[in-house]
Amino acid sequence: MEGSSIWKKLLVLLVLASFIIGCQPPAQPTPEAQPPAVEETQPPSEAKPVELTFVTWSYGVETIADNIKKFQERYPNITVTHKDYSWLEYHDTMVAAFAAENYPDLVYGSDHWLQEWASAGWLVPIEDYCPDVKEYSAELAPYALEGMTYEGKVYGLSYYADTIDFVYNEALLKKAGFDKAPETWDDVYTMAKALKEQGLQYPIIMAWSQKEGAFPEAWTSMVFSQHEGHHALFDADLKPTFNKEGSAAYQIMEWLVKVYNEGLFNPASLTTAEIDQVKAMQAGQAAFTIFPQYNMAEVNKPGSGEYAGQFKIALMPGKSHATVGYVRFYAMTPGVVNKGPEYIDAACKFLHYFGGKTDGQYLVVKRWAVENGLGFAQLPLYQDPDVIAAFSSWGDVPTIEQQAKLARSKEGLTTWYGAWDIFARAEIHKAILGETPIVDALNNMANKWLELAQ
Amino acid sequence: MTTLDHAVIRRKAKLWDRLYPYFSVLLPILVIGLFTIYPVLYAVRISFYQYILTKPKVHPFVGLANYIEVVTSYYFRNSLINTAVYTVAAVIGITLFGLGVALLLNSKIRSANALRVIILLPWAIPAVVGGLIWKWILNSDFGILNGILYAAGFIKEYIPFLANPNLAKLSLIMAAIWKEGPLAAIFFLAGLQLIPNELYEAAKIDGGGGWKIFRHVTLPLLKPIILIVVIYETITAILVFDLIYVMTGGGPGDATSMISWFAYAEIFKNLNLGHGVALAVIIALIILALILAYLRIIKYEEVVG
Amino acid sequence: MGITLKRQIGSFFGNLLVFLLIIYILGPFLWMAIASFQGENELLKRPPSIIPQNPTTDNYRYVFTGEIPTAYEVKGQLRSRISQEARLIAPALKNSFIVAIVVMVINLLIGTPAAYTFARINFRGKALWYNFILGSRLIPVMAVAIPYYVIIKNLKLLDTYQGLILIYCALTLPFTIWFLSMYISNIPREMEDAALVDGCTPFQALVNIVVPLMAPGLVAASAFAFMTSYNEFLFARLITQSIKSQTGPVIIASIAGNPDASYSLISVCITLGLIPPLILAITMRKWLTEGLSASITFR
Repeated sequence: MEGSSIWKKLLVLLVLASFIIGCQPPAQPTPEAQPPAVEETQPPSEAKPVELTFVTWSYGVETIADNIKKFQERYPNITVTHKDYSWLEYHDTMVAAFAAENYPDLVYGSDHWLQEWASAGWLVPIEDYCPDVKEYSAELAPYALEGMTYEGKVYGLSYYADTIDFVYNEALLKKAGFDKAPETWDDVYTMAKALKEQGLQYPIIMAWSQKEGAFPEAWTSMVFSQHEGHHALFDADLKPTFNKEGSAAYQIMEWLVKVYNEGLFNPASLTTAEIDQVKAMQAGQAAFTIFPQYNMAEVNKPGSGEYAGQFKIALMPGKSHATVGYVRFYAMTPGVVNKGPEYIDAACKFLHYFGGKTDGQYLVVKRWAVENGLGFAQLPLYQDPDVIAAFSSWGDVPTIEQQAKLARSKEGLTTWYGAWDIFARAEIHKAILGETPIVDALNNMANKWLELAQ
Repeated sequence: MTTLDHAVIRRKAKLWDRLYPYFSVLLPILVIGLFTIYPVLYAVRISFYQYILTKPKVHPFVGLANYIEVVTSYYFRNSLINTAVYTVAAVIGITLFGLGVALLLNSKIRSANALRVIILLPWAIPAVVGGLIWKWILNSDFGILNGILYAAGFIKEYIPFLANPNLAKLSLIMAAIWKEGPLAAIFFLAGLQLIPNELYEAAKIDGGGGWKIFRHVTLPLLKPIILIVVIYETITAILVFDLIYVMTGGGPGDATSMISWFAYAEIFKNLNLGHGVALAVIIALIILALILAYLRIIKYEEVVG
Repeated sequence: MGITLKRQIGSFFGNLLVFLLIIYILGPFLWMAIASFQGENELLKRPPSIIPQNPTTDNYRYVFTGEIPTAYEVKGQLRSRISQEARLIAPALKNSFIVAIVVMVINLLIGTPAAYTFARINFRGKALWYNFILGSRLIPVMAVAIPYYVIIKNLKLLDTYQGLILIYCALTLPFTIWFLSMYISNIPREMEDAALVDGCTPFQALVNIVVPLMAPGLVAASAFAFMTSYNEFLFARLITQSIKSQTGPVIIASIAGNPDASYSLISVCITLGLIPPLILAITMRKWLTEGLSASITFR
C-alpha cells in the first residue's frame, strides 16, 4: 500500500529495537571452556550409557560408520551418532552451529582453522582432559604436531596428515624425450614448453578454484620450495616478508604469470576443483600438477585410465624442495566438558580409538592409510609392512618419506589465517590473470594481513 | 429475558466481528514476527558492536565503525560495482527474455505450444541445482557446451568460461536469465492475456503495423507488469547468492564477488559478524530505497497517466 | 504475394526462435538426464557423447540398491571411490516433499483468511501490519542466518521437519498474503456484500463465496509456497544436520561438492531431484498463468 508506511514500520522497529536492546550488552556466545583440571578419579561405572555426537565432512562415510560400529562393540555403553557435511560447506556450517552455541561433542578439525576455532572457544585442549594423549606427540611428524597445537596446548589427535606433492605424468615426459623428473621451476617451464610444442595444449593444471581447500596450500608449497629455511612468508614476529621484490613468493608469482601468459598453464585452473584436476590428470590432459598426496592412490589405481601407474611424485621443484604438510584431526568441543566427567571419559576413549593406539596399534589411522591412501603423521607407521605394501602400489615410499621429512606446517597459522587465506586467493588470481601487477597483489595481501592482525 | 439474550448474543457477535480481523491475521503475523523482529533487532544491534567470533570476550560498542570500515573497504566498492553491473544486465536480460517469450507464447506460431509446456521448468528447480548444472555444462575440461562447440568446429580450444573474469560474469547472467526469465515470461503472458482483443482490432483498423501496435497498445498496457517484474528481479539480483555460491565462489579473482556474497564471506569466512551484519543492513536499505523509488514512479504514473 | 512471403519468413524466424529457446530452456535438463545414463568415462571424453554410446542404468541401480556400477571397477577415468552419500537422495527428496506439502497447506489455511482480511476488512493498524508482512522479506538472509539458527535451536527444533516448516512459513506467508489479497481485491464484492447483509460472518463469506472464485489464485499461491520450500538451500543447510531432515538441495549440493562424487552419480541425483518440481511446473502452468492474470489486473 502507501510507501510512507514502510518508513513508519521501520521507525517503529527502530524504536522497539532501542528499547529492547538498549539495556543489555550483546550476548556472549562463549562457552565455559575453562578446563577444570580433570580429576584422576576412576572412570564412572561401566554401565552408565553415554551418547556422543560426532561431526565430519563427507569422505568415506561408510568407512566412518564401520569404524564407529567397531568402537561401539568395544565400548557397549557408548553410542556415537555420526553426522556429515560436504567438505566445501563444512567450515561455514560448523561456524553457524558454534556461533549459536550448538556444540557437537567431537568434530573433525583442520590446522588452518584451529586457531580460529580454539580462540573462539569452540574447541577445548584435549591434553587438559585426556592427559595420556600427550604420549602420542613424540611419534608425530613435527608439522602435524604444530598444526594441532594452539598456545602450547594440543587440541587434537590426527585423523590423517599429508604432504602437498608435485606430481608428473612419466609417460608424457618420456614421449617428449625427458627421462628425469624436473628439479627446479625452470625445469618445469622448459619441459612444459617442449610438451606444448608437441601438442599438449596445457601441460600444467592446478586445482585453484576459489573454493578449493588445497589452493593456498599448493601455492604456499611452491613458495616453500623456492625458499631456503624457515620464514618464507613471515618473519619471526609474523610480519609479512613475502611482498618484497625478489622474495620466494615474488619469484613464484613471476613464474606463474610467465607460464600463464605462454599458454603452459591451463587457464581453467582458476575454476578447477580437486575432483576435476584428478580427472584431467588421469585423462592425460596435463603433465604436471600439485595436489594432496592421497590422490596418488586414485590416479595410479590399476585400470583407472590409460596412464594409471605413470604418475610419479617428484620432490617439490625449487631450491629447497620443501613443501607444506598439513593435518586434519579429531577434536573435542566444550559440549563434552559441559556434560560432565562421563562424557569426557567417553570422548577420550573415542579419541584414543580413532586417532591414537588401540592394543598398541594405530588402528583407524592405519586403516585410512591402507584402504584409502591417506597420509599419516605417526612416523612409526612408515615401518609398518601393510602400509609399505599399500603405498608401494601407487608410489615410491622412499620419495614419499623424503618429501614428508621436508614438509613444514603452513606459516602464519593464526586466528585470522582462514580469513586472510580467502582474501589471498583472489589476489593470487588477479595477479595471474594480469589484472593486478604482482607487487601490488603481494602488497595487498600483506596489508590485509596487517589489518587482520590488529 | 429472551430479548436480553439476543442482545447479549448480538453484542458478543459484534465483539467477535470487531476481533475477527485481528484474529485472522494473528497467526501469520506471529510466525513472520518471530522470524523478523528478533533477527532484525539482533542484526541491527550487532552492527553497532565489534563482534568478531574469534574474540568472544570483547564486544565493545563501536557506533558506526563497522559501517564506516565496510563502506570504505576496497571490497565494498568492488562488490558494489559488480552487483550493479550484474543487476542491470540481469534485469534487462530477464525482462527482454520474458517479454519476448510471452509475445511468442501469445502469438499464432504453432511450435510455441511446446515452449509453453516447458517454460516454467527452470524456475521450478532449486537455484543451487540450476547453478550446479550450468557449472558442469560450462566446465572447461568436460563441459558439454565446450564439447558441442568443439565438435561443430566453432572453437579450436576449450574455452575456460568460468576462469575468465568477463566470461564468468556473462555466464552468471546467462544462468540468471535461464533461472528467472521464465517467471517473468509467465507474468508478461498473464498481462498480455488481459489485453482485450478489441483493442488490437481497433488498432488494426486504424492501420497500425505489428511494431506500431506493440509500441502504442501492448507496451503501455504492460507497463505496470514491467514495473513489477523489474522491481522483483532487481531485488532478486541484488540478493543473488546461491548461483554465485555454486558457480564461481566469487572468482576468478574477485570478478563475481557480489555484495551479498561479500556479506556472507564477512560472517562465515572472516567471522566478523559486525561487519557482515552492517553490510546486510546496508543492502536492506538499498533495496528499501529502490522500492520507495518504484512506488514513487507508480504514483507519478497514476497522476500523469 | 509479398505479404504471404513476408509472413512465411516471419513464421520461419518465429519457429527458429522458438526452437532456440527450447534448447536453451530444456538443454540443461536433457543433458542431466542423458548423463545419468552414461558411465563416467564417457562423460569425461573430449568431446563427451551427446548420445550415449553404451547406455546403462547402473548409476540408478547404485543409488537405489548400493550395487556398485561395473564401470567403476573396470576402466574409466574416474574416482574409484564413489559417493556413498548419493544413496541418501531418495530419503532427502522425501524430506523435501513432506516439508513443502505441509508448508503449502499451512499457507492456505492461515494465509487465505489473512489475505481476505487485508483485502476486504478495515481494522486499526491494517496498513502497518500489511507493510510489516511485506517488509519482512526485505531483510537479506545473510544478516539473519545466525539469529534464525538461534531461534530454531531455542525451540529445540534443530534437525527436524518442524524447524524447516516454521522458517519456510515465515518466508512464504508474506508472498501468499500479498498475492492472494491482490487476487481477492480484484474479485467483485457484490456477492459477499449480499451474504454479509444476510448475516454471514466474514469468515463464512470467505469460505462459501470467495474461495470457490479464487481457485486459480489458490493454486498459484500453493505452487509458490511449495516451490520455495522445496528449493530452499541456505537455511536447510544450516539447520538440518542429518538425513532425518536434510532436504534434496542440501544433499545434491553436498554430493556435487564431495571429492568422491562421480559426475554420473551427481547427474542421477539431480535428475531424480528434478522430477517432482518438473511435474508440478508442467501441470500447474495453466493455473499459474490464470492466477497471475487475475491478481495483476490493475484497478
